[in-house]
Amino acid sequence: MTDISSDILALTTTLKMAAITTVILLLLGTPLAWYLAKWQSRLKVFFEAIVALPIVLPPTVLGFYLLLAFSPTSLPGQIWQSATGNQLAFSFSAIVIGSVLYSLPFVVQPLQKAFEQLGDQHLEAAAMLGAGPIDRFFSIVLPLTKASFVTATALGFAHTVGEFGIVLMIGGNIPGETRVLSIALFDHVEAFNYANAHWLSAGLLMSSLLLLSWVYFLGNNFNKKQHRSISP
Amino acid sequence: MSTNSVLKNSSQQSPNSALPCAIEFNSKPTLAKLHLDFSLAFDSFTIEVKQSLSISAIIGIYGDSGSGKSTLLRVVAGLEQRAMGQVSLNDTQLQNSADNAFIKPEKRHIGLVFQDSRLFPHLSVYQNLAYGAKRQKNRQLTIEKVLSLTHLSEMQHQNVTQLSGGEKQRVSIARALLAEPELLLLDEPFSALDKTTKSQMLTILKDIQQQLQLPMLYVSHSLSELQYIADQLIVVNHGQISTAKTIHQAIHDLNSQGESSPKTSLSLTVAEHLPAYGLTRLALPTAQSPEQSIYLPILEQQKSQHLIGQQLPCIIYARDISISTTKEEHSSIVNHLPATITAIQYSKTNALVTLDIGLQQFYAQISLWSAKRMALVTQASVYLQFKANAVHSYHFTEPTINA
Repeated sequence: MTDISSDILALTTTLKMAAITTVILLLLGTPLAWYLAKWQSRLKVFFEAIVALPIVLPPTVLGFYLLLAFSPTSLPGQIWQSATGNQLAFSFSAIVIGSVLYSLPFVVQPLQKAFEQLGDQHLEAAAMLGAGPIDRFFSIVLPLTKASFVTATALGFAHTVGEFGIVLMIGGNIPGETRVLSIALFDHVEAFNYANAHWLSAGLLMSSLLLLSWVYFLGNNFNKKQHRSISP
Repeated sequence: MSTNSVLKNSSQQSPNSALPCAIEFNSKPTLAKLHLDFSLAFDSFTIEVKQSLSISAIIGIYGDSGSGKSTLLRVVAGLEQRAMGQVSLNDTQLQNSADNAFIKPEKRHIGLVFQDSRLFPHLSVYQNLAYGAKRQKNRQLTIEKVLSLTHLSEMQHQNVTQLSGGEKQRVSIARALLAEPELLLLDEPFSALDKTTKSQMLTILKDIQQQLQLPMLYVSHSLSELQYIADQLIVVNHGQISTAKTIHQAIHDLNSQGESSPKTSLSLTVAEHLPAYGLTRLALPTAQSPEQSIYLPILEQQKSQHLIGQQLPCIIYARDISISTTKEEHSSIVNHLPATITAIQYSKTNALVTLDIGLQQFYAQISLWSAKRMALVTQASVYLQFKANAVHSYHFTEPTINA
């Protein structure tokens, strides 16, 4: 396999992993952020700390524990194997699960902050007009916090694209399955293949910069609108 | 009268067919029976309420800030799930902590207008109104009808964030009406508005109540506002609530309980407008002769016959009424009325004199020095006097509402 085609394969694997991870993160992170925003208990700080752990922990620490958990000899690995018939460690599913945990704070934190700022006022008003909880989420919460959803989606996606340590620990380096861009880059550097390394690095750098600029641009715009609409 | 006789006739002719039809057309609730028996503990105090209310028009709820009056509304609305005890509306149990029964706010058919309007900023005026209407089965009110009731037709496409305070509260009321509640709760809806706008709002709200026959509970810390809008009053004090009394009686009872600004509360009938003198004459409730009239600054310059015969709730502060033992003939003061002293209540700084004119009570606050110098005693016949502009009413006289 040529370097170019293997790099393209790594790119599609990366995008697939990041896209699936982001969808899962939004589905899990939204209710989690909601409960953290509404929950009033002293235990709350403990759960907030757990969600925030991946920000400060070396990814290899998380990766190491996940590797142990995913191995066919441990209980989670066994359950997965009996349910799907495949081994969990060194699989695409493994790096998606790892990415979900690793990028969780980048989705949960902006959403939690947005839900806390939104408060209960508009939700109470909507309830008094006959809207149930799901209805209130889609008719009030989502439109009023869409800037934070854009931020959470983009940060979750970008952070997943950029991860390295966890994938290395639990994914191995299987082309088309677990070989993602950051690992391909590492391989190029180890093989002194600096030309390809430059291409990958510059590509990742530029696309990340563009994505973040777009997010901040949208956030600014939403904020301006929101500011106009909230001030009396 | 005429609808009554039509109903009676049709029921005699065919009791099974015509009557249900007529009732269905008028099926909007005109009486809300609210049964409250609950307690709710807070850090500093506990709200305890045990009362049954029959709300036919507007019952006012009065109390200082932090007395628990807003919380009372929130419990009825279903926004305070912690409340222990029972709440029921029109024989439907809304919550009962004994068997863990709790109907969610969205299923209670109760409307709530918040002090801070809480309009949805991402929706236009029309969309805010449609929000409640869309979620309501068996609608009887159209959005257009409510837009005109609340004088909002011209601004229906505006962004709600560009509205003034009074306009926001009109949208808030309109939105609540379109959810077609059986009972409408209003939590200090106009407290942030200036006096002129407040008068407009109160006049509009009263008109809405009369047109839709919708029972309302209206919370405020302003007695004069409540006096204009409500026909009965409940007083909340440190979480304890009084029984509902007629509005004038309730306000007079507060006078003797040491209310800081005692006042006379009464409903007067508009008798005639006197444009040449700039006055409107109003008759006392039990007036026998034109002498038992009160004059106030003219209510309407144009369309001056408009209010004749209507009842107008008025307030006269006790500090604005003075007492004379003889009839003053050479004074600019317009209102002179013969009265009998029925009680004198002395405080450290002044005397509160209760006077009767027929069955109507008045309150005058005078200095201890005056009370002593004039040797006032009960049963004495005196004259009470006050200027025309000492008579306060929230009635708003401008026929059109400015946008």
